[in-house]
Amino acid sequence: MPIETPSQVFQELVEQHRGILFKVAKAYCPNEEEQQDLVQEMMIQIWQSLQRYDPRYKISTWLYRIALNVAISHFRKNKVHQRKQGTLQGQTPLSEDSDQPEKEQQLRLLEQFIEELKELDKALMVLYLEDRSYAEIAEIIGISVSNVATKIGRIKDKLKQRFSQQKIS
Amino acid sequence: MDDKELKALWQTQALKLEKNILLTRKYAEEISKMKVQSALASMKSPKIFTIIVGILWVGFVDFLIIGAWQSGSAFFLVSATIQVVLSKLALGIYLYQLVLISQINLGTPVLEAQEKIASLKASTLWVARLLFLQLPIWTTFYLNAQMLKQPLSLFINLLITALFTWAALWLFFNIKYENRDKKWFRMIFEGKEWTPMLQSMEFLDEIRYFQKDEEYV
Repeated sequence: MPIETPSQVFQELVEQHRGILFKVAKAYCPNEEEQQDLVQEMMIQIWQSLQRYDPRYKISTWLYRIALNVAISHFRKNKVHQRKQGTLQGQTPLSEDSDQPEKEQQLRLLEQFIEELKELDKALMVLYLEDRSYAEIAEIIGISVSNVATKIGRIKDKLKQRFSQQKIS
Repeated sequence: MDDKELKALWQTQALKLEKNILLTRKYAEEISKMKVQSALASMKSPKIFTIIVGILWVGFVDFLIIGAWQSGSAFFLVSATIQVVLSKLALGIYLYQLVLISQINLGTPVLEAQEKIASLKASTLWVARLLFLQLPIWTTFYLNAQMLKQPLSLFINLLITALFTWAALWLFFNIKYENRDKKWFRMIFEGKEWTPMLQSMEFLDEIRYFQKDEEYV
């Protein structure tokens, strides 16, 4: 069996887990062009950190850590710039032929809610929506499992309020 | 909307992201073939530049001190020595920051890595404190015994040096994280070159609250 080169390992890794990178980038970056730059920066960091990968952790845990660390740093660097640009331009456009306009609207509301969260809460929310266990979220973020549960509970309460307000209006 | 519905809603965007497969392949191929620099690594260049300029400066001042050691004015020698020692300390901080940059591993937990990055940026505050500590020597290096023989000149120089010494010490001890919201602090650190440092200090605060299981505002 031929041995894979680091370059092949890297290419397979990012292709297999590209969803992680794009979804994290989307949560932290409203502008589509910037999202691509952010994904590129995440990939550079993965390539450069490949030799430092600690096999005690799941590959997804390691990838989420890198993606979130790069996204948070990028977000903090561009905070002022993003505020000036406004918040709506990067949201998923409503498909013209969409047969589920209500779902589209809910997705927009969810994206908007995530966009308004602070950077660390945003990370928690993305990981929760990605269906990661509380134990894995704790490993990714670096806080206790009970702390994860408390914080996610608070964010979910706020989200539920937002959805119910939307229904009323 | 329950948990399952919420997660299913989030996953609907995964389908839309599938179009990015070609882009991922292109990036991955380019990155693994070319020598690329990450944003973190690019923080090194300005620090290395400052260290080189700093080494040249302290080398120059050291040269002046050695040259003036036998026949130079005592005021100049003492002032220049204090200046060069403080500059060397500032150089040490820049070297420490370089070491920190190389130690940051983005594959470690988010809070750990972010705390290191924020501390790195916030440590620039030490450079500012050391720079202010140099204030009084700019009022003494040009003095000579002749100038101080006249009572009026002696009084004015003493007064200015005392004022600058007081201001330098006061700023050295008061320029700290806890005073970041004070008006005088904001006035000194106004401008975009200080913004990342101030934001990092605020972020360090957020990280601390986040770790403590308190809701941060």
